[in-house]
Amino acid sequence: MIHMEFALEARQLKKQYQDKLALKGLNLQIEPGEIFCLLGQNGAGKSTTINLFLGFITPTSGAAYINGLEVATNQLKVKEYLAYIPENVMLYPNLTGLENLALFSSLAGFDYSPESLMQYLIEAGLPSEAATRKVGAYSKGMRQKVGIAIAVAKRAKVLLLDEPTSGLDPKASNEFSDLLLKLSSQGTAIFMATHDIFRAKEVGTRVGIMHEGELVDVLSTADLNANELENLYLNYMHA
Amino acid sequence: MVKSIAQKEFISTLRDRRFVVLSMLVLLLLLAATVVGLYSSHTLQQERQVAQEEVNHQFHNSADRHPHRMAHYGSFAFRPKSSLSFLDFGLDSFTGASVFMEAHKQNSANFSQAQQSSSLIRFGEMTVAFVLQMLLPLLIIFLCFGAFTQEKETGTLKILLSQGVSPRQIAWAKIAGYSKTVALVVTPALLLAGGLLFGQNGLDLQPDMLWRLLLFMAFYLVYFFIFIVLSVVVSALHQRSSTSLVTLLGIWILCCVIIPKASANLGNTLYTTPTKAQMDADVHEEVAKGIDGHNSQDARAEALKKDLLRKYGVDSVSQLPVNVDGIIMAVGEEQSTKVYREHFEKLTGTFQKQNRISELAAFLNPYLAVRHLSMGMASSDFPHYLHFQNKAEEYRYHLAQGLNHIQATRLKYHDKTTRLSSDTWKEFKPFTYETPPVHWALRHHLLSLTALVLWLCLVCTVGMRLVHKTQIV
Amino acid sequence: MKKFWILIKYEWLNFRADKGLLILVTLTLLAGLYGIYYGTTEVQRQQQNIAGLEKLTEHNVEELKAKYPEGTDAGDIGYYHSTFAVHHPDSWASLALGQRDVNPYYIKLRLLNLQSQLYDTENINPQKVLAGNFDLSFVLVYLFPLLIIGLCFNILSIEKEQGTLPLLLSQPISLPLIVGAKLTFRMLVVLGLGLLLSILAMIWGKVLPDGRVALWLGVVMLYCFFWFAVAFLVAALQKNSAFNAVTLLGVWLLLTIVIPALLNVYVSIKQPIPQALALTIQQREVVHGGWDKPKRETMDKFFALYPQWRDTTEIKERFVWRWYYAFHHLGDVAVQDLATQYKQTLLARHELVQKLNVLSVPVNVQGIFNAMAGSDLPSYVQFLQSATRYHDSLREFYYPFLFRQITFTPADFAREPRHSFSSAPDVDSAVNGFVKLLGSVVVVFGAGLLLFRWKTASVK
Repeated sequence: MIHMEFALEARQLKKQYQDKLALKGLNLQIEPGEIFCLLGQNGAGKSTTINLFLGFITPTSGAAYINGLEVATNQLKVKEYLAYIPENVMLYPNLTGLENLALFSSLAGFDYSPESLMQYLIEAGLPSEAATRKVGAYSKGMRQKVGIAIAVAKRAKVLLLDEPTSGLDPKASNEFSDLLLKLSSQGTAIFMATHDIFRAKEVGTRVGIMHEGELVDVLSTADLNANELENLYLNYMHA
Repeated sequence: MVKSIAQKEFISTLRDRRFVVLSMLVLLLLLAATVVGLYSSHTLQQERQVAQEEVNHQFHNSADRHPHRMAHYGSFAFRPKSSLSFLDFGLDSFTGASVFMEAHKQNSANFSQAQQSSSLIRFGEMTVAFVLQMLLPLLIIFLCFGAFTQEKETGTLKILLSQGVSPRQIAWAKIAGYSKTVALVVTPALLLAGGLLFGQNGLDLQPDMLWRLLLFMAFYLVYFFIFIVLSVVVSALHQRSSTSLVTLLGIWILCCVIIPKASANLGNTLYTTPTKAQMDADVHEEVAKGIDGHNSQDARAEALKKDLLRKYGVDSVSQLPVNVDGIIMAVGEEQSTKVYREHFEKLTGTFQKQNRISELAAFLNPYLAVRHLSMGMASSDFPHYLHFQNKAEEYRYHLAQGLNHIQATRLKYHDKTTRLSSDTWKEFKPFTYETPPVHWALRHHLLSLTALVLWLCLVCTVGMRLVHKTQIV
Repeated sequence: MKKFWILIKYEWLNFRADKGLLILVTLTLLAGLYGIYYGTTEVQRQQQNIAGLEKLTEHNVEELKAKYPEGTDAGDIGYYHSTFAVHHPDSWASLALGQRDVNPYYIKLRLLNLQSQLYDTENINPQKVLAGNFDLSFVLVYLFPLLIIGLCFNILSIEKEQGTLPLLLSQPISLPLIVGAKLTFRMLVVLGLGLLLSILAMIWGKVLPDGRVALWLGVVMLYCFFWFAVAFLVAALQKNSAFNAVTLLGVWLLLTIVIPALLNVYVSIKQPIPQALALTIQQREVVHGGWDKPKRETMDKFFALYPQWRDTTEIKERFVWRWYYAFHHLGDVAVQDLATQYKQTLLARHELVQKLNVLSVPVNVQGIFNAMAGSDLPSYVQFLQSATRYHDSLREFYYPFLFRQITFTPADFAREPRHSFSSAPDVDSAVNGFVKLLGSVVVVFGAGLLLFRWKTASVK
C-alpha cells in the first residue's frame, strides 16, 4: 500500500524486547514540512521509535513507513529518503571533519566538491579551521555540528533527530532551531525526540507525549504556550 | 581498604564464567601435559635403559678378543632421561640419544627425536613448561588487561581514588588478588607433578631432585608475578580496555613467538658453525703431524721406540718388558684425543656464543630467562647435554687407554692373535651417567637468573612509578 | 559498486592515519625480509659446505696418492679413503628450510659397513634447532595469521565501539557491503604483502621457475583467505573487540601450537620407532663377530650374495682385506630388515601426519611448503636410500680390485663413483594439501556467512 501523502507513518507499531514491551502499538502520521517533537522520559520508547524508523531494529508487529515505503522490507531504499542525527554523533577519529562529511555524503550518493562540503560545515556552525583537523580532538558539540552537516548535505525528505542539541551551547542550539525551521519550510519532514519542552514548543508543529511505550497525547503547538505544555507533560508523567 | 580491593578482584574473577572456562582449559592442558610428558619420557628412558643394559652385558660377556679389537668393538652411551625432564623436554628431543664409543674416533650423538619426526615437531611440544611459559601468560593477560581501564571506563576509578587510596595501592591490591587467582590455577598441576615425581621415585628421592623441583616452581612463580605486574602496569597506562588488551597481546607475541626464534637465528648467523666433516679433517691433519696410532712406520713412532730401547737398555723391541704396540697406541690415543678435545671445545664455544645471544635477549624478554632456567632445572638444556657428551668422551678415553694398557702389559710385541677372555672385560666398569648437582646447573644460568631478578625489580619499581602517573581523566 | 570503492578509499585513509596498524604491517614486512635473508643465507651456507666437502675429498685423495705413489691394495684405500654422499638443497629450500637443519645433508662414507656410518649427525646446535627456522614459511604460517588478526579483530566491533555504525547504517548501504569492503581492503594489504614477499624470496633465492610458483602463490592466498574467513566468522558473532581479540588469538594458538603439539604426541605414541637403537647395537655385534667366525663361513655367506667372486682364491692368511670387507657387508645384510623397517616407520610417521593435518590448517600449509621445497622427512629418507645405493656402487667399484687382487693405482681414483643427490619436490602431496586447504577455506567461510546471516546485526 502506498501512502504518498505522509513522509513518516507508523501503524500499530509494536516492539517487544525480551522482558519489556517497549512500544505498545504506535499510530502516527507526519506530513512533509511538519516538525514533530516527541517528548518523554528516559525509557519511554522514543529511541525505540526512531530505531524502528531507521530499520536498526525490526518491529514485533505493525509497520513503519518512510515516504510511503515500509522500512522493514525496504531497508536500503528508505535510507535514501532519510537523514539521521544521533544523540551523540560519533565519527572516525582518524579522519578530519571534512573527510568524515565527504565519506558519508559520497555513501549517500552525492558527489560534492570540497568547497561545497566546507560550506555545509560552516553553515552547521563548525569553524573552517577545525574542519581540517582530526575528529579525535573534537568536542562533543563540534562532532554534533558535523553530524548536522552530514544530515543537511543529504537533502533528505525526512530528518530523524534523537536529542540532537545535547552538547550544543545555547547559541548553537538557537542556530540549529533556525536551521530546522528553514528545512521544514523547504518541505522536509522532521521527527525529533527531545527532553527540551521549550524548544519543542518553539520549533514544533506538533508535540507528542510518550509514556511507557504509549503515545498518550498529541498536541498542536499553536494551541498552547510553553507553561501549559510543561504542566500537561508533568501531569502525564505523574499519572 | 587494600585487602578489600584484592578480595573484590579475586571474587569477581571467580564469578567471571569466561575466565573460569579458560582457566579450566589451561589446567586441563597442564594436567594432560604432565601425564603425557611423564609417559613419553618414561618410554624413552625404558628404551635407553634396556639398550644400555644390553650393551653393558654384551661388553662384559664378549667373546675372547684381542684388546685392540675390543677397543674397536667399543661401547655405547645412551643418554638417560633425567627424572625432571618430563616437565620440560627442552633440547632433549633435538639431541642425540646414543654415542658409540670406540678407540681413535669420537662419534656424534645420533638418533634424536627430531630426526625421526616430520616437521610437525617444529611446531613445539606439549610439555608442562610449554603451558607454563606460553599459555599462562596469556591467561594472566586476559585476567589483568582491564585492571585499570575497566575502572576508568565505568568511572569507578575516580570514586576509589576519592576514598583516599593511591593508584599504587590499588595496583598492589589488584596484583595480590590476581596472584591468588593464578595460584589457584597452577597449584593443582604443580602438586600433581610433584606427586608423580615422588610416586615414581618412591622415598629415595634425592634432595638434589627436590631442590630442582622447588627452584623450577619458584622460577615460574616469579615469572607469573612479573607478567601480572606488567599487565597491571600496561592497563594503568591505557585509557581503554581494548587498546590495553591489544598492547599486551602484542607484547606476548613479541616475547613468546618472535624474539626467541629471532635471537636464536641471529646467533646462528653471527657465529658460523664448522661442519663435522671439516672438523674431522682438521683433527686428522693435526694428529698426522703428531703420532699416528695405526701407523707404526711413522717416524715419531720410531723415535719413541728408540727412547724405550735406550731407557730399558735393550737392543730390540721384542726384548722390551713392555709391548711397544700398546704404548704407541696409548700415546697416539692421548695425542688425538687432545687435538679432538681442543676442536670440540672450539665447537661448543661457538654454540655457546650463539646461545649467548638468546641469553642476553632475556634482558628484553622474561620468557627467555624462565625458559633457560626451566630447562636448566629439568636438566634438558645445553650445558647438561654437553656434560653428558663430555662424560661419554671421558669414558671412551679411559676405555681405550685401559685396553691399550692391557695390550702393553699383558701381550707381547707384534702379537696380533692372542685373545683375552671375557673376564678381562669385566674389569671395566660400565658407563653410568649422573646428572650434575643443582648448583652446577644454576652456575650455568647466572645470566638468565640475573635477567629474571632484574625483571622482577624493574616491574616493581619502574612499573609502579608508571602506575602512579596513570592518567585518570 | 561505486559505494564499495568509496568504502575502500576511506578504509585506506583510516589505515594510513593509524600508527598501530602501520607499525604492525611494517613489522611483518621486516620479519618477512629477515626470513628471506635467513632462508637464503642458510641454503647458501649449506651449499658452500657441500662444495667444501669436495675439497676435503680431493685433499684426502692427494694424501693417499702421496702415501701410495706406486699404488697399493685397494683395502688400504677403502679403509683410509672417505668420500661424501651429499644432499643438495632444492632451489626452493630457501623459502621453507623444513627439517634440513636437523637432518644431516651429507654423509661421510668409507668402504666399511654402512649402517654404522649412515646415521652420523652434523654439528648442530640443539638450542638453535629447538628455536626453529625464521624462514619465509615461518613468517607466512605463523606471523601472517597474527597480522590478519591484528587487522581484523575489530573489523565490525570498532564501528560499534566508536559509535559510527548508526550514522553509517543511516546511509543507503548494507552491513554486508561494509564488512565486505573492510575485508577486501585488508585482504589487498595482506595479500599484497604476502605475494610481494613470496615473489621477492623467489627472485632472491633464484628458484627454479616452474609450476610451483603458481602453487606457492595460490597456497599463500588461500591460507590468508582461511584466516580472513576465521576473522569473519568471529566478527559474525558480533561481540566486542576484546572478546574477538582473545578468541582469534585463542584459535591461532590452538591451530598453530596446541593441536600440532598434541598431534606430535599422538604420532609418537601411535608410531614408535624402536628400530634405531636396536639397529645400531645389532649391527655392531654382527660386524665384530665377523672377526671370530671361521673365514670359510663368512666367505660362503658373502658368495651367496655375490656369486661372481666365488672362484677367487681361498683365504689362508690371518688377515686379508676382502674378508674384512665381506664381513662388514654381512653386518649390513644382517640388519637390512631393521634398516628397511626404520625407514618405513619414518615414512609411516610422515604419512600419519599427512592424514591428521586436516585438524590444523597451519600444519597442512607448512607441510605443503616443505613438500614443495623438498625439505621434509621423505626427502631425507630418499637421501638415505640414495646414500645406500652410492655405498653399493662404491663396493662394486672396489670389489674387482679386492677379489682379483689388482693394485689400486693413483689413476684409479678418477674412476671412483661420486655421489650427488638433490631433493625433489613432492608436488603430488603439495597439490593434495592444496585441495584440503581449499576445503578448509570453504567450510570456515561458509560457516561465517551462515552465522552472519543468521545473527541479526545490532547497531549498538
